[in-house]
Amino acid sequence: MTTATPLKERFTVPIGPQHPALKEPGHFDFEVEGEVVKSASVRLGYAHRGIEKAVESRNWVQNLYLLERICGICSHIHATAYCLGVEALAGVEVPPRAQAIRTLVAELERIHSHLLWLGVSAHEAGFESLFMYSWRDRETIMDLLEGLTGNRVNYSVNVLGGIKYDLDAEQSEAILQGLQFLEARTHHYLEVVTTDALFLQRTRGIATLTRQQAELMGVLGPTARASNVKRDVRVESPYAGYQQFPLQMVVAEGGDLAARFVVRLNELFESYRLIREILANLPEGELTTRMPRRIIAGETISRVEAPRGELIYFIKSNGSDMPARVKVRTPTIMNMTSVVKLAVGHQLADIPMIVSGIDPCFSCNDRMAVINNQAWDWEQLRQYGIEYYQRQNAE
Amino acid sequence: MNTIVDILKILIFPGGMFILLAGMMYEWADRKLLAMLQNRIGPRWFQQLADVLKLLAKEEVLPSGVNARLFIGLPIVALAAALTAALYVPIMGIAPAFSFSGDLIVSIYLLSLMTLCLGLAGSNTLDRFSLLGATRTLTQLFSYEAPFMLALLGPAFLAGSWQINEITAYTDGRWLLLTQPLGFIVALIGLMGKLELPPFDAPEAKTEIVAGALTEYSGRGLAIFKLGKGVELVAGLTLVAAFYLGGVGNPLLFLLKTLGLLVIIAGIQALLTRLRIDQTVGLWWRYGTLLVLVQWMGTILWLRFVA
Repeated sequence: MTTATPLKERFTVPIGPQHPALKEPGHFDFEVEGEVVKSASVRLGYAHRGIEKAVESRNWVQNLYLLERICGICSHIHATAYCLGVEALAGVEVPPRAQAIRTLVAELERIHSHLLWLGVSAHEAGFESLFMYSWRDRETIMDLLEGLTGNRVNYSVNVLGGIKYDLDAEQSEAILQGLQFLEARTHHYLEVVTTDALFLQRTRGIATLTRQQAELMGVLGPTARASNVKRDVRVESPYAGYQQFPLQMVVAEGGDLAARFVVRLNELFESYRLIREILANLPEGELTTRMPRRIIAGETISRVEAPRGELIYFIKSNGSDMPARVKVRTPTIMNMTSVVKLAVGHQLADIPMIVSGIDPCFSCNDRMAVINNQAWDWEQLRQYGIEYYQRQNAE
Repeated sequence: MNTIVDILKILIFPGGMFILLAGMMYEWADRKLLAMLQNRIGPRWFQQLADVLKLLAKEEVLPSGVNARLFIGLPIVALAAALTAALYVPIMGIAPAFSFSGDLIVSIYLLSLMTLCLGLAGSNTLDRFSLLGATRTLTQLFSYEAPFMLALLGPAFLAGSWQINEITAYTDGRWLLLTQPLGFIVALIGLMGKLELPPFDAPEAKTEIVAGALTEYSGRGLAIFKLGKGVELVAGLTLVAAFYLGGVGNPLLFLLKTLGLLVIIAGIQALLTRLRIDQTVGLWWRYGTLLVLVQWMGTILWLRFVA
């Protein structure tokens, strides 16, 4: 009576591009046997926006606002990477006060990003209370950023050659108070994620990335530091205010999801400390310096540490008022391989946590995928599309 | 005349309409409590009713590749089973509408029928999330069912009867919670497993398998399943409260007792992380069954040597 096709022992569970586990469009195919994942593959590119190409037809200043919109969570760090690169190309020295405030906002942004991640990961694990409370506390940072810049996201602090917003005593007092509250909360969260027996059942020993594997795959940021790989641009090659205000690198041994929680939460304490230090020793002086409208020809690489890991901008100028090429490499693209690798052998129930464990940002990493090397005209592309869907329907 | 009263009992009170509304109110109370514990605002008091009415008004999509009769019939069977079970339990502390010797076993079975229907509904569709959800639902059924049943049989054992009426007559005024604490814990947690509440919500874990067995359901089918869950919540809470919290009696007091249980359930939901399905099974067979067996052993020894 039933028309159901016979089931194979193994079948593929497609997750995404629309799925409740992923708030952003990515696609994963997990081949499962019962509950255990036997193989995994990832497909990215659903949110490709063509920003790198669009950058080439806008001038240096306009691009700042476009590039800031690559990522909704770490918008400031994208603008910082771009500014640092362009300033290096132009040979402009940015005043120390501007550098310090850049660093301050970057650390505030890191706090907001890590708290967001904590909530998302708890949600993926089915720990809704931690999700709700960590996001409530994250509002503190959002309010501080709004008070500082007028925006909750895309703060637009940077301009080429400096920053836009100064910091007065009242604002710095508000930041200190917010940090005091958050520090107490972070202690609590760290206790929860390291002592809650049921939560540890879902994180300890799950998705363990050994140090060798981490180095081989070139994973970045907190994901790498959780595997005891000492890789942090803020420490390795300090940029902006990190020369004046050095940072302690936070690493953990485990390499599993539990270690990633510990690393990210401990990084919050380091951020709190650094922000307090910057506020106490904020250099006096100008906020901006003069920038030329045309940048002399040349090329540069600008590296910064985004909340998710190392962010690289390659910027090439041909001497005009528009860049010849800007290439962005976001940390997620480097960490994504580890997801596919680590998912194999784990239960399907662990997959959402493994995916969110690298703190993925899908639309940041999406870029053009070269499907075929030969150039097609419209007619050929149309024909390919017709044939493709005919094949799909035949299957 | 008697027939008319019976029909009214089934359709209006304490069965039928009343139990459906009670189910929605209890579910709302659970959601609201959970929301308060999680620092959220939570739904308005009529939210459950609004959800059900909206779903009933919507088109029911029949996915391709399913057995249509099963797809439409399963929710109805599930709700009917839950409603039938509710007729034999002392809803609101009022004597059950119907009663016969051995109705405890029948009601426990009827309450499980809902889970079986969910499992069948999931495996009836071709959707992979539904299939995984169905597998998990049935796996979970086999893990909590035996301890849950044993925990409810503990009071029956003391009362010397398998008739809910007689057991509640025995427990009236006797708080078995104090003498059989392990049985009470297993019964309450077993109820959470039955209702697939967090942390036992692996069968419908939305971050993994969307909505589990019910992924393909929409409109009427989904509404009926939701109603069935509500009825089960009321019936289950009533059974646990009547057996372990000093029997039936004053309806207001009984309402407070069941709400007290709901507060505990909401607290557990807020505190714990979702268990993986293998962890759920391990928990029930390693600890749940053991606890309830220890409870039984204690009861038997007590009856043999003390009483």
